[in-house]
Amino acid sequence: MSAVLEVRGARYALPQGRVLVEDVSFGVAPGETLVLLGRSGSGKTTALKLINRLLEPTAGEIRIAGRPTHALEATRLRRGIGYVIQEIGLFPHFTVERNVGLVPRLEGWPAERIAARVRELLALVGLDPGVFGARYPHELSGGQRQRVGVARALAADPPLLLLDEPFGALDPITRVELQREFLALQRRLRKAIVFVTHDVREGLLLGNAIGLMQEGRIVFLGTPEEFRRSEHPACRAFLAAAG
Amino acid sequence: MNLLQFYAHNSREALTLIGQHLFLVAVSTGIALTVGVPGGILLTRRPAWRGPVLGIANVLQTIPSLALFGFLIPLPFIGGIGARTAIVALVVYALLPIVRNTYTGIAGVDPAVREAGRGMGMTDGQLLAMVELPLAAGVILAGIRVATVVSVGTATLAGAIGAGGLGVYIFRGADMVNNTLILAGAVPAALMALAADGLLGLAERRLAWRAG
Amino acid sequence: MARGVTGRRSLALACGALLAAGCGRGDRIVVGAKNFTESDLLAELVAQQIERRTGLPVDRRLHLGGTFVCHRAITAGQIGVYVEYTGTAFTAILNHAPLGDRDSVYRAVAAEYAQRFGLTWGRPFGFDNTFAIVVRRRDAERYGLRRISDVARVAPRWKAAFGYEFLERPDGFAGLARVYGLKFAAPPTAMALGLTYRALADGKADLIAGNSTDGVIQALDLVALEDDRRYFPPYEAAPVARADLLGRHPEIARALDELGGKISDDAMRRLNALADVEHQDVAAIAREWLARTLP
Repeated sequence: MSAVLEVRGARYALPQGRVLVEDVSFGVAPGETLVLLGRSGSGKTTALKLINRLLEPTAGEIRIAGRPTHALEATRLRRGIGYVIQEIGLFPHFTVERNVGLVPRLEGWPAERIAARVRELLALVGLDPGVFGARYPHELSGGQRQRVGVARALAADPPLLLLDEPFGALDPITRVELQREFLALQRRLRKAIVFVTHDVREGLLLGNAIGLMQEGRIVFLGTPEEFRRSEHPACRAFLAAAG
Repeated sequence: MNLLQFYAHNSREALTLIGQHLFLVAVSTGIALTVGVPGGILLTRRPAWRGPVLGIANVLQTIPSLALFGFLIPLPFIGGIGARTAIVALVVYALLPIVRNTYTGIAGVDPAVREAGRGMGMTDGQLLAMVELPLAAGVILAGIRVATVVSVGTATLAGAIGAGGLGVYIFRGADMVNNTLILAGAVPAALMALAADGLLGLAERRLAWRAG
Repeated sequence: MARGVTGRRSLALACGALLAAGCGRGDRIVVGAKNFTESDLLAELVAQQIERRTGLPVDRRLHLGGTFVCHRAITAGQIGVYVEYTGTAFTAILNHAPLGDRDSVYRAVAAEYAQRFGLTWGRPFGFDNTFAIVVRRRDAERYGLRRISDVARVAPRWKAAFGYEFLERPDGFAGLARVYGLKFAAPPTAMALGLTYRALADGKADLIAGNSTDGVIQALDLVALEDDRRYFPPYEAAPVARADLLGRHPEIARALDELGGKISDDAMRRLNALADVEHQDVAAIAREWLARTLP
């Protein structure tokens, strides 16, 4: 299957000259989850944001379904990519329904279709639409909120999902729950996913491929088994810390 | 004669002055809104301008109102005797609360909300209209409320420069040493300020986003 | 026992004497002025004259307020002296209909002030500062306006602006409009008196009531119209002082009398111009005038 996402030689340098991402290349196929693993400051979140152009790449080429990302207008591009962040960022003044249906609404879908899609997605992430649809974010638990966040990202059925430490703000038990549900969801939906995390256990659990980043570069790219067996000092360090 | 008798005898004049007063406050607040809200929004988009703009507005605010009227009178175009000068002065005083609150209200929106919105493909305009302004509405209205209440009081000075309003009664009463006249101007002005405060406070509570 | 009583009495006398002396010595004269330049100037003249002739310390309360404010202040004892105009006192304070010649108005005012308020009128300075109905020179030429009667022709198309006091006083706008049959397009605009000249010069008003001795009339190319129907009473400026103050310090009355008849209409106009047009300091103007005129 051809890759949904192709990143070649991506680079990001600040106006003052400091380089945060250097020569990053990888591909992600449908059904595949690429985990970008690394310590804080390794450039993994920056690299993620180059994909949906929240940060503009200084050099390199990024293609989605064969089309270069800079060929599209940035907002159009982002509507076709699901984006989930650690702080979740649900709109506090929108109900769960309105939050999930945001992108379809921006795209001008008919109301009926939006409502049906919202119901479908809430059920998919394990939230009863009848119960949760009319609630407001402040009435939900952290785990419930992030489920809504995921549903929101899936609303317009994008081929690619970007997740930036999505479970980082949740308690350990909820985190494990959501990780499990994530795997089940991915088996069903078979999206192309880039998943950023600093938690090696999470990475090994959820990823089909691991990209280890250090000081803005990818120092290892391979399967989880290859990662475990790798002699690379960075990989060893991560595994050692995880115990 | 007491206050009610005074109004009974001078109802037409009193209503004219009240109307003039309302006109001065409404026009100046309207202009301040038209300039101030977009101005505040602009400041959130251009953080570099925030210091100078808010700094200037702050300084203007500290000029004593009578002094500002005095400064404006000799100026061409915006100066001179009459309602136009009064309105310019009132706009100056209304700007700071409105610009500052617009800025603070929008800047106070959770950055995660803004990032999620951008990441999902909202344009800047959509973000502003669907997320930032609704969430900031309460704070912005608080600024409008302060600006309006201050305007009602400051507009009494318009009487000194021939711009009409309830200040006419107050100045007349001060010159004549006539307390009834002074009250005839001061009481409706105070009631107007209270009413504005109450009504806008109500709107503020309705629109203010209260989470949790 | 006898010595004790004598001792206590002496002590009481001593205290009394000290108190009395203290009263006399701590008696600060307060001179007030109305809220326009000429009044400030005359107040300075009066204050400096008292200081230089009597050696008593004088406080100034310049630009205090309008006629009624100053009258209230002097009857309440907050000021001891201020300069008032006979016509103003006659019509605005004493509420008489504005008629009479210069001398009868002065006599009536002096008598009634003494009797009703315990206030004493000094000698008039020598000029008459009547209300001047002022228009722009080019309008006066275009419409042939020399007298106030001429204004009735153009009034329906004109706007008037007055200070608050002129609008309220019986010898003010209401009477003027009635006597001269003036009907303006709209009720006159009210504003701070000083701004009426600017309003006239800027074209925001076509007619105002200034003072005949104002320094700015010529400077702004304005013209004062003749009061052909003799509507306005005479307005002789003279110092008004509290009788009890003069009783304690008769030397004040002597000092003020020296100013009587020393200032003509033209002289007052020149002094006003120095302040209003050339922006010289009021105290300096007064000092120079006194040095020149009453060395």
